[in-house]
Amino acid sequence: MLEIRNLTKIYDDGTRALNNVSFSVEDGDFLVVIGLSGSGKSTLLRCINRLINPTEGEILWNGVDLAKLEGEDLRNTRRKIGMIFQHFNLVKRSSVMNNVLSGRLGYTPSWKSVLGQFSAKDKQKAWDSLERLNIKDQALKRADELSGGQQQRVGIARALMQEPEMILADEPVASLDPVLAHSILQYLEKLNQEDDMTIICSLHYLDLVQRYATKVIGLKDGEIVYQGSRKDIRAMTDREFKDIYGEEAVRVGGLEGDLSAGGDQS
Amino acid sequence: MSKKEITKREGEIKPSLVPPILSAILSAILPGLGQALARDWRRGLTMFLGFSTSFGLLVWRFQSAARRDVGFIDIFKKAIRIEPILIWLTIATIAFWIWTIADAYLTAKRPPKKAVGIFLVMGIVFASLGWQIGQVDLVKLITEINDAERAVNHVMWPWSRAVTRPVEYVEPEAYIQVPCTDTPFAQPEVPEGEPYLISDPTCGDLAVLEGERGTELTLTGGNFIPGEQVTIKWYDPLKVSFTHRQDGEFMQFPVDENGSFEVKITMPYRLVPPSASEEAQKWTVFAQQVIATGSLEPSEELKLVVEKMIETIFIGMMATAFGIILALPVSFLAARNLMSASPVTLAIYYLVRTILNLVRSIEPVIWAIIFVIIVGLGPFAGILALTIHSIAALGKLYSESIESIDSGPIEAIQATGANWIQTVMFAVVPQIIPPFVSFTIYRWDINIRMSTVVGLVGGGGIGYLLIQWINKTDFRAAGIAVWFIAVTVAILDYISAEIRERYV
Ligand SMILES: Nc1ncnc2c1ncn2[C@@H]1O[C@H](COP(=O)(O)OP(=O)(O)OP(=O)(O)O)[C@@H](O)[C@H]1O
Ligand SMILES: [Mg+2]
Repeated sequence: MLEIRNLTKIYDDGTRALNNVSFSVEDGDFLVVIGLSGSGKSTLLRCINRLINPTEGEILWNGVDLAKLEGEDLRNTRRKIGMIFQHFNLVKRSSVMNNVLSGRLGYTPSWKSVLGQFSAKDKQKAWDSLERLNIKDQALKRADELSGGQQQRVGIARALMQEPEMILADEPVASLDPVLAHSILQYLEKLNQEDDMTIICSLHYLDLVQRYATKVIGLKDGEIVYQGSRKDIRAMTDREFKDIYGEEAVRVGGLEGDLSAGGDQS
Repeated sequence: MSKKEITKREGEIKPSLVPPILSAILSAILPGLGQALARDWRRGLTMFLGFSTSFGLLVWRFQSAARRDVGFIDIFKKAIRIEPILIWLTIATIAFWIWTIADAYLTAKRPPKKAVGIFLVMGIVFASLGWQIGQVDLVKLITEINDAERAVNHVMWPWSRAVTRPVEYVEPEAYIQVPCTDTPFAQPEVPEGEPYLISDPTCGDLAVLEGERGTELTLTGGNFIPGEQVTIKWYDPLKVSFTHRQDGEFMQFPVDENGSFEVKITMPYRLVPPSASEEAQKWTVFAQQVIATGSLEPSEELKLVVEKMIETIFIGMMATAFGIILALPVSFLAARNLMSASPVTLAIYYLVRTILNLVRSIEPVIWAIIFVIIVGLGPFAGILALTIHSIAALGKLYSESIESIDSGPIEAIQATGANWIQTVMFAVVPQIIPPFVSFTIYRWDINIRMSTVVGLVGGGGIGYLLIQWINKTDFRAAGIAVWFIAVTVAILDYISAEIRERYV
């Protein structure tokens, strides 16, 4: 269980990106964070695995305050938290295989990894992950030769190498077209349902939120303005969504409601 | 849509501060002032700077053309006589002036939209000034191009100098007594089947400077190799050899088909030590034929060129190697994203950047001259010059590629729980290696080309050889060097392009 208490982040330039945010996530939740651009979604996700240091507040995960961890302890905790990015953040010039293997770095001694040595077990694990995401045949290509959807699957494979208990996904489908968006989120859903991983994911599209989330929080100017269960979200209308989310809300297309007027505006 | 925009923009422009006529008068006094007061201060400033620069340059040209004259009229007349093009420049400048006045009037009346004309007029004025200052003389270029013909031909096709054959000399001698005594040398016997040279008479007097000509000798030779050139030469009593000149020309001619010849020569002028003139002395005249024997072999020049070409390539390589080693640490200090953490590191960043820019702006040739002074002529000076320039150039390129790395992968690798060294190895190094390799090969290419140039000023390698031959007007030898440089550079160019393409 992850419990965020009074989390505040003020950037060096004085921007208050998160203001006194508190919520909790049960193990096995698929939590979706929604909010306008600049509302603090990325900041929130990056505070959880400490890519950003929070200014104040507690991040209790299984009883440990992640906000206070340093050095070795922090790295060991990070191993258990996979992260997936909007722009995939693969090392473009390295091979797909190397990108996937780098998910194992937290478990590999420095000197071995500097020499590019990974254990046979890790390599087998990498093949398995690639197989699971259906991109085994791309393993030896350079990462930037892959399509966007394939690159994101490599990103997920890299996260899987960490054997994570929780996955943070920062707008994992924002650079992909709607069909690919569903396929990527289905992989995350599988991890959530079959492997019991907790997923915290930021999303922009109402129909995706309704389809995948088991829990939703809405951010606005760094504050939580909405919390809802699976049932609340399913019942939510476009109008309500826009109220929380702002007029920019868009639907990928497919499930219900009509947002064509809103879509035209942006 | 676009129409709306234009009317909107015109509506926004405030009216001129002065009426059009006044604006024109003001610009006549101070070009640009009218435009500035018509609220188009940028146009005014451009006009002012453009006009004052071209006017200033014109005045300067007049003065330097007529350096010794005083008084406006005299200077003008003299300068025009020496440099007729100055008339046109004067007219163009006046036209420019009139045009700024007209432009000021129009600007004040109704703001013009574009300023194409201003750049056109300024372009013309500056181009013609540049023509005059640069002493461009196309006529000379065309009429005197023939002067270069011999040199160009030799450089283009120098291969007769690239090979030699071993030679043998055929040089029978005759002895001359100077001055004549009572007992002159006896005529030698004519040998059978061997080359010989006979002089008649066998004694005589040397020529005297601005006085009498020397004694005339009739030289008869025989049994030479038919048809080949023969050269008449001397040994003085001290056995110093020199080539005979008859009326200023070397004496060189082919022998006839029987291998014999007969020529008349007058004895040469030579300074003889006074003490020696008391007794009669023995001079030697000889006829020399140079006969090539054996097979072709590379000439000294060719061997030298190959040797120095290799030296040149190594100068370039050493400089590149030293450049890389030293540029690597420097580049980290010159990367803004690494150095912006604190004011101290930022200060170091600015300092390093400034030094790099300064060093880079000084040409390798200048560095070579400096290092020749310090370490003397030779390849080491060249290596130092290219190294220092490479550090500056590579340092800048490396640091720019460090600055442009994508932070995404770094974040992603950190998120896996990797430590610092793992993050550097897996997220930073893969991103900077390709640009580093590419820049390094590019630099290697430049350094090898440049090592020729630093050689010209004494930095060793083939350049040094080339400049010596050019100074000696030995254009064939220079031609061999030029060919080797061209071919080597082309090959290395190709190789470096290949490597870069494959690798990056
Ligand atoms: N490194 C930073 N330094 C200063 N301000 C920052 C920094 N990163 C983000 N911010 C600011 O913090 C606020 C929240 O940004 P954040 O990136 O978390 O928003 P977001 O919800 O992820 O937006 P988007 O949907 O566009 O990704 C914004 O106002 C942003 O300008
Ligand atoms: Mg974001």
